[in-house]
Amino acid sequence: MALTVLAIVFALLLILGVPVVFAIGLSSVAAFVASSGGLDMLVPNLNTMFNTMIGDSGMNKLAFLAIPFFIFAGELMIYGGMADKIVNFAKAAVGHVRGGLGMSNVVACTLFGGISGSAVADVSAMGSVLIPIMKKEGYDADYAVNVTTHAALVGVLTPTSLNIILFTLAAGGKVSILDMIYAGIIPAILLTACNLAAAYLVARKRGYPRGEWPGWAIVARSFAAALPGLMVIVIILFCITAGICTATESASIAVVWALFLSAVVYRSLTVEQFIAACAKAAKTTGTVLTLIGISAVFGYLLAINEVPTMAGEWMSHISTNPFVIFFLVNIILFVLGTFLDMAPTILICTPIFMPICAKFGMDPVQFGIVMLLNCALGLNTPPVGTTQFVGCAIGEISVGQVMKTILPFYGSLTATMMLITYIPALSMWLPNLVRSFAVG
Amino acid sequence: ADAPKIELRASDVWDDDYPTVRALRNMGELLSQRTNGRITLKVFSGGALGSEKETIEQVKGGTLDMVRVNISAMNNTCPITIVPALPFLFRSVDHMHKALDGAPGEEILRSCEPQGYVGLAYYDSGARSIYAKKPVRSLADTKGMKIRVQPSDMWVSVANAMGANATPLAFGEVYTALKTGLTDAAENNIPSYEGTKHYEVVKYYSKTEHSMAPEVVMFSAKKWATLSKADQALIREAAKSSVTQNRKYWSDREAQSLAKVTAAGSVIVSDVDKKSFADAMAPVYAKFVTTDQAKALVKAIQDFKEAPAAAPAKK
Amino acid sequence: MYTRLCATLSKLSLQLAAIGLMLILLCMLYMVIGRYVFNDMPAWAERLALLLTLYVTLLSTAVSVRDAGHIGLESFLVLAPDWLRLKLEYVIHGLLIVFGALMLYFGTTLAISYWGETIPTLEWAPDGLRRIPVALCGGLMILFSIEHIIALVKGTEVEPSWH
Ligand code: NA
Ligand code: NA
Repeated sequence: MALTVLAIVFALLLILGVPVVFAIGLSSVAAFVASSGGLDMLVPNLNTMFNTMIGDSGMNKLAFLAIPFFIFAGELMIYGGMADKIVNFAKAAVGHVRGGLGMSNVVACTLFGGISGSAVADVSAMGSVLIPIMKKEGYDADYAVNVTTHAALVGVLTPTSLNIILFTLAAGGKVSILDMIYAGIIPAILLTACNLAAAYLVARKRGYPRGEWPGWAIVARSFAAALPGLMVIVIILFCITAGICTATESASIAVVWALFLSAVVYRSLTVEQFIAACAKAAKTTGTVLTLIGISAVFGYLLAINEVPTMAGEWMSHISTNPFVIFFLVNIILFVLGTFLDMAPTILICTPIFMPICAKFGMDPVQFGIVMLLNCALGLNTPPVGTTQFVGCAIGEISVGQVMKTILPFYGSLTATMMLITYIPALSMWLPNLVRSFAVG
Repeated sequence: ADAPKIELRASDVWDDDYPTVRALRNMGELLSQRTNGRITLKVFSGGALGSEKETIEQVKGGTLDMVRVNISAMNNTCPITIVPALPFLFRSVDHMHKALDGAPGEEILRSCEPQGYVGLAYYDSGARSIYAKKPVRSLADTKGMKIRVQPSDMWVSVANAMGANATPLAFGEVYTALKTGLTDAAENNIPSYEGTKHYEVVKYYSKTEHSMAPEVVMFSAKKWATLSKADQALIREAAKSSVTQNRKYWSDREAQSLAKVTAAGSVIVSDVDKKSFADAMAPVYAKFVTTDQAKALVKAIQDFKEAPAAAPAKK
Repeated sequence: MYTRLCATLSKLSLQLAAIGLMLILLCMLYMVIGRYVFNDMPAWAERLALLLTLYVTLLSTAVSVRDAGHIGLESFLVLAPDWLRLKLEYVIHGLLIVFGALMLYFGTTLAISYWGETIPTLEWAPDGLRRIPVALCGGLMILFSIEHIIALVKGTEVEPSWH
């Protein structure tokens, strides 16, 4: 009964256009009303709801503090001109290939994804520089947007990723952030390679121009200019691995580094821009963390109505073959990902599907990478495709037009996802290697 | 006339095979056996309904019927519960069992009643000890050591009294922090040392046995009031019976965990000068044992004798 | 007049949130520096950062309600004819008022009932402080949603007040 109410009200509110966070909140209230059977229990139930939202299952986790700071560091890098430097390097390095700007876009987005916390930040930073240039040079808007939005997804797997943090928390402390970071590296490279291939093939088919080779000197110089910004990845990995700070604290170090670069080294950050970055970071914090808090309520409702158990039983009825189960999990995650944003999908689905996959022999770390990639796909799938929306807004093109030519890019993402799902070594080899060094 | 069916729900943050969860399930089985299925107990394990703090709030509000938490989780709500968590209060597991099964244990559970909790039972949590990359044999070894403790005033003050630095870390970050050397040590019982896989990264488990803070099973007073006297008695009985099972599960699990960690190369350090630690705890007692009730309780517990033969001899 | 009030409140909330974010940053840096320079890793810094996070988060959540900054499924709404879309927008803001009212009520009653307990390792801070931002967010959401409804009636737009 409560579950039916939850599902129907949630769907209705989403269609109505209520923001996702309040759609979850209001449908949870409706589910509590349905299950309480009177004011006597409704009041304590809603107390539980708001306590859960701000409690240990919701927002009250230190690791979440990394989220505002990775956002903040990313904002500072954008205002401080680091985005331009990365674009320059990417153009110098791969601009001479056919469809050079497309290739540059992939490289730039991937690199910037390493220093920004979210795919959306990546698209807004890189896209606003590159998409207009590409259009001016004769590239079609749909291509420019698709290349950007897909390359930005790589950032989901790289060190500053908010989603890695979200996943480790949703996994209930059973997965180490450091393991996840190392596990993401090879899949990130693989996805980049697939993105480059897709961008190249489409560019050849459409006969896009190639740029000129600027010579090694320019490449080296532009790399040197971009390097300090990219150093943030190295700093984060070093600080955590060497035991200088926790993953959470490393985010605050990233902010200090970004601030140091923009304000002291490049002197390109004005006080107004600094305040603007603060405000933007605060706002994104609000959007993301409230969603996290309210998703915990959703999770509570699913748990108390025993959805995880039912889902597990249902799936093991369908098949006992790991290949089939993993495929099924991918499909379910994909479907949910089309409707939900990344954060709620991770928070709601991890406790349900991680135990199932573990039962069939998938390591929680590998499951995490599969989950992240799958949710990333959802970021570029309507009706709720956050990065896609931002990309389309920048490219001044409709979601429908972009969807018409998205297939090669979906293909590269899906191929990566299948490889990661069925070849554990791709995600597990590196963290295991690092671990064996640390213990010995 | 048939009495109405009662479906109870309980929460535990540990996984299914943990002794406390097994004991709760055992309690549920007893209840449904003794009532021919009229009273059932559904156990939500793995923290599905929330953390210890969140679930005790739910029990208070009546949205959850029962919960198993460590007694430390009750400290903010009913202050007297800090007593059994005090460092070096119990001399042995046997001493702890006797004291908690007796009047002092009763008194502590009853103190939670005005706050909305009916205390049903104490479950075992063993003794907490320090594990680190080096052996800890006396107070001198913990001087300047970075120890991860639970984020509570008392635990921070225990660490400080040992001359150590309390490192506040989220539970999920402890493994990495121990591995990278961000923190030198952590403290817990053997099953947790094993279950968290911390034994993979720090080898020396030194039996400081500095605290035996027990687990408690709390029932919602709000729900309790709606039950008949007979049902209340049934539930109390079942909880008491599950304690025996829990102690057995616990010692089994301790033995298993011990075997597992020693097989993996962990060193159990037994020659610990516990007196050097116990003597350093005066500031903790001074800070947290302030009320007359608390002082009397501490004394009553200390006066309890572990070996039953010793009791008449003193009189 | 009402719009001016809302604009001021929204700007103030976001400013406070931004300042809060800076304070959290200082707490976290203090945790790192404290460990190496002062050989002291204060537990309070962590708890204070967590407390501040609730204020930063919920204040800026309210601001995002005013600035229409939350992620939603707008694609369906675009398909609706104009007359229907307008009506739906009234409904949405009405629903946000309902949710805001719940947050205001439960935030307040929870803050009162948890005032007697303290936050672990922050002995000066009542646990009720953690519930106040819920009430604040709810109250602001009501004000801002009413502002949106007024703007719909008048056929105007709500201008974001700060960045
Ligand atoms: Na990233
Ligand atoms: Na989507």
